[in-house]
Amino acid sequence: MSTVDAPAPPRTTTVVPAVAPWWRRSAPWVLLAAGTLGGIALQTQLYTAQERVVGTVFMFVALATAWNLIGGFTGYPWFGQVGFFGLGAYVTALCMYHLHLSFWLSLVLSGLVAGLFAAFVGVPLLRLKGHYFAIATLGVAEGLREVVLNLPRATGGGGGLTIPTLGPDAPTRWLGNDGFYILFLLIAAAVVAVALAVSRSRAGYALRAVNQDEEAAAAMGINTTRTKTLAFTLAATLTGVVGSAQAFRIQAIYPDPSFDTSITELAVIMVMIGGAGTVLGPILGAIAVQYMSEWLRENYTNAHTFILGALIIVTVVLLPQGFVNYLGDAVKTRRFSLLDNVRRYRL
Amino acid sequence: MTAVMQARGLSKRFGGLQAVKALDLDLYAGRLLGVIGPNGAGKSTAINLLTGHIRPTSGRVVVDGADLTGAKPWRVAHAGVARTFQIVKPFRGMTVLDNVTVAAMFTGQRHTVHASRQAAMETLDRVGLAGAARLSPTELSVADARRLELAKALALRPRVLLLDEVLAGLRPGEIDPALALIDSLRRDGLALMMVEHVIHAITAVADEVLVLHHGEVLTRGEPATVLSDERVIEAYLGSRFAKRAKEELR
Repeated sequence: MSTVDAPAPPRTTTVVPAVAPWWRRSAPWVLLAAGTLGGIALQTQLYTAQERVVGTVFMFVALATAWNLIGGFTGYPWFGQVGFFGLGAYVTALCMYHLHLSFWLSLVLSGLVAGLFAAFVGVPLLRLKGHYFAIATLGVAEGLREVVLNLPRATGGGGGLTIPTLGPDAPTRWLGNDGFYILFLLIAAAVVAVALAVSRSRAGYALRAVNQDEEAAAAMGINTTRTKTLAFTLAATLTGVVGSAQAFRIQAIYPDPSFDTSITELAVIMVMIGGAGTVLGPILGAIAVQYMSEWLRENYTNAHTFILGALIIVTVVLLPQGFVNYLGDAVKTRRFSLLDNVRRYRL
Repeated sequence: MTAVMQARGLSKRFGGLQAVKALDLDLYAGRLLGVIGPNGAGKSTAINLLTGHIRPTSGRVVVDGADLTGAKPWRVAHAGVARTFQIVKPFRGMTVLDNVTVAAMFTGQRHTVHASRQAAMETLDRVGLAGAARLSPTELSVADARRLELAKALALRPRVLLLDEVLAGLRPGEIDPALALIDSLRRDGLALMMVEHVIHAITAVADEVLVLHHGEVLTRGEPATVLSDERVIEAYLGSRFAKRAKEELR
């Protein structure tokens, strides 16, 4: 019977180099360095209020990029990010208030504590998938807030805690608006650098493989438990560092704003709109959402949240895979129509 | 000759269902064991038990003298045991090349991304997919998707290869090249096990055939002997049809 079938025509084999040329591999690093220098240059053009706004954009670039490590690359919807943000904030506040440690040491400790805690809770949590993982991590974040609320002697409970930042009591002097702008810029750049390094390393391949088919990944020799736990720990460490810097910036910290779920939600929205699993996506998403939010607040004070919500819905409907992934698809298939894109994702 | 991979008394019970019962098997370098049996006979479960995707209820799995009973799948992979999946499992968001690169990267020894990509390219060339390296797995035909599945298993540089219905869905003209590839792997000295529904394919390449029925070994031996065994025909066709088939053949 095999004689009936004509032999398959020989494949037109184009020689594909297995490794991209050096200039393509180093381009993202050059862009990152240029972006960081651009951020420093931009500072000279901003007045104080604008500096604060852009500093917050940098904070969200860092948060969204950290979220993307576990939520985007690995595909585990982490709805408890703010728990680690608040944990970092409180570790810094406690270290500076009670132990009079310098901010810089507290920053490192906050990252370590958040990371260790993630490694500890990650082992059971990462056995869950999808919605279950989302809900469980949300529970951890809420639980942490309750812990902080119910330890008034250490944390001040609902009354909050004020980090000493001025005078002889202050272990480290407050950095000022200029200082915090640079601090958040450098943190964002460092977090993006980590994401870039991970994305191109063996770990990056392992994370994407786990995301796309965990069973197949394990059969390929990937220790899926270790891979997931490492990604989760890394994301939590970076988030803890961001929380620490934010605590020092605002000085007076309270449980509710420190563990505010909308911080997680914003990071998720930024990653989804920008493009999950890409390095550039969360950066663009954070800038776009934060800029839009500020602009609407100024120009449509009465309806700004309503309009922002509508814009987010429209974007998610038209670009379900996020802007950067859409651009990648569109360039590859030479089809740029948004309706085509919606159809491709069967919405 | 000692077996590269051995299973002794391997059993799995899912609640009230005995999926695999007291399975013994030995896989030797350069030999191919064909495993056949009706749907639900426990063939895929047997592979999952060997690779650690399912923990056995009882029994032992030994690779090169090392006990790997209940070991996690990645440890089994590092010990040199690769597999394919009955339903192909490509990483859909990656290119064909990246799919194989992942497999080449985590073999148990450390391989750089650079070296893994080159090894992956060589593997793709061997299975005839080099021209599709830049494509997405979703753009591949059924036959090419099976080739990719095989390439991913081979990129692990295994000594044991467990094939779960690699010929399913292939057109007749595509089966012979696939069998030739499998045969070349055997000549390279791999220990092969092949679960298959295409019976004539099994008789063409298997050194030994094992028949599973209701999770138990019905019979085993030379392909020709096993396939003419009445009990095998009965297991596939049911006793009434088996009797009729025998009468008609007479």
